[in-house]
Amino acid sequence: MNTQEILNRFETVARDPAGQKDKYLAAGKKVVLMAPVYCPEEIVHAMGLVPMGAWGGDMELRDAKQYFPAFICSIVQSIVELGMRGAYEGASAIVIPSLCDSLKVLGQNWKYAVPSIPFIPMTWPQNRKPDYALDFTLAGLRRVIRDLEAATGATFDESKLAASIRVYNEHNAAMRDLVPALAAHPEITAAQRSAVFKSAWFMLKEEHTALVRELLSGLAAASPAAAKCPVTVTGILADAPGLTALLDEYGFQIVADDVAAESRQYRTDTPEDGEPLTRLARKFQAMDCCSVLYDPDKKRVEHIVALAKNSGSRAVIMAQTKFCDPEEFDYPLIRRACEDAGLPLIQIEVDRQMVNYEQARTMLETLREAL
Amino acid sequence: MFTLGVDIGSTTSKCAVLEDGASLTVTSIAVGGMGTRGPQEALDAVLAQAGLTLNDIASVVATGYGRARCPWTELQASELTCHALGAHMVFPGVRTVIDIGGQDAKVIALNGQGRMKSFLMNDKCAAGTGRFLDVMASVLQIPVEELGRRALRSEHPSAVSSTCTVFAESEVISQLANGVDLDDLAAGICASVAARTAALAKRLGVVPPLCMSGGVARNAGVRAALESALGAPVLTSELAQLLGAVGAALYAYRKQH
Repeated sequence: MNTQEILNRFETVARDPAGQKDKYLAAGKKVVLMAPVYCPEEIVHAMGLVPMGAWGGDMELRDAKQYFPAFICSIVQSIVELGMRGAYEGASAIVIPSLCDSLKVLGQNWKYAVPSIPFIPMTWPQNRKPDYALDFTLAGLRRVIRDLEAATGATFDESKLAASIRVYNEHNAAMRDLVPALAAHPEITAAQRSAVFKSAWFMLKEEHTALVRELLSGLAAASPAAAKCPVTVTGILADAPGLTALLDEYGFQIVADDVAAESRQYRTDTPEDGEPLTRLARKFQAMDCCSVLYDPDKKRVEHIVALAKNSGSRAVIMAQTKFCDPEEFDYPLIRRACEDAGLPLIQIEVDRQMVNYEQARTMLETLREAL
Repeated sequence: MFTLGVDIGSTTSKCAVLEDGASLTVTSIAVGGMGTRGPQEALDAVLAQAGLTLNDIASVVATGYGRARCPWTELQASELTCHALGAHMVFPGVRTVIDIGGQDAKVIALNGQGRMKSFLMNDKCAAGTGRFLDVMASVLQIPVEELGRRALRSEHPSAVSSTCTVFAESEVISQLANGVDLDDLAAGICASVAARTAALAKRLGVVPPLCMSGGVARNAGVRAALESALGAPVLTSELAQLLGAVGAALYAYRKQH
């Protein structure tokens, strides 16, 4: 495939997760849904199941509202909405982690809203760094394994987990290589970039890695287009078509990201030595710089500034998921750090029900004019 | 050389003609924003006053929420950029611009040379905007222009929620039913808008001198409450509502040079 065909393939997958699910089901595989933000996908993969991201979708929320208060994250609401509308039917289970208050509510409501798809909780420790957190994390992982075995009939084998960890680390490396490669090619639109990341949630990682590597080869041989205005994007999600279209319209190029659904997923590899399940728990201990991971030092703030500086970004765009407390808590610190670093920052509110992007347009247009 | 700025807002349309990027020649305001006859009426009025036709204008820049659908130009600039330019032209040295329009509020920080440093926009909510004042004036059955005058007469402003227009409307209706004085209610309503805007300004950082732009700048009650909430004087001008159009005309001039 040439570069355009590969990009088209990513876009097709990103646009049609249901088609991907049906394809895997038709091939005799079982699908397990992975809710935001971090799930032990490697375990699901090792059991011969297909882990598939469930980050909701852009839609009008209707049925899910009976389970939620008005002022809550629309990502979790749209996951329930899709579940209630039958979009996830065929999946054998959903793993929902406990990383924020909204996700805890999602898990509890899922059991009643979508009883056909069993809910498996992944309870990560709040304090993940101390030694005692390792045992807590391992207990959480073992609970997931037990529930997966009960829900799917598949069995867990730690030697297979070692192989899956390799697959995931290889994918992490490919996704990390992807960021500077895309940054070197301004002709890749924000929408195309988003599709490459989004499609990773709906493909087996070995398949996605192969396609990303093919894209990297194609990009290496291609001549870059004229430069655009380089920016760093941060937030939970930045995949709304209305937002990426505006970034493209005003000539912005995402050259680095701190987006939870994108690069945050691929920063930390599972360590090489030790028992596979313990290594997976240690990976969680090693993770950092994320709004939903407890961090009294708020290292994420410095990380974003460094990311922007090192990537040559002229500004930082924070895609603020509406009613997302963990991100809101970080905003004042990010704002101050960006000011101190001389980096313009704008905060654009986004949610899964957004249909009017006029305010986002005004902010992006103003930023472009100011730059 | 004449340049024209057209600010098509949510409730009004404004035009300003500048000569050589420095001398403000004429301005106009028409009721009705995007999707109405307001823009055409504002254009007709400003050209008639200036004794010009569109052919005499070297460049036109549109701003405001209706900028993309302005029929006389394809050149656009965001209202934040234009209000910053207009405010710096009318109030040289101003460092913080507070713009409260019909459907949103913005705070803009400028450096000493008038260059925009940063900005914030309000939440997607009518509270703290001109729309809030329109709704409340309608509940009180008085013209919106009267809110400010009444607010200044109040000695015991009532408490009105700044969180939500719908909740605040219920509160005002309840207070009316309880016989609360109209002037005190008007003062509470103005203070509610000011509180919300002051919070936005404080998030950005308030550096004096401050000025107000946008239609709500005409409301003396909101201005007074804003000065009280921010602890600093807030400059304004008869041109406050026109600063976006003035800035657009200046932007048009600078694009030519």
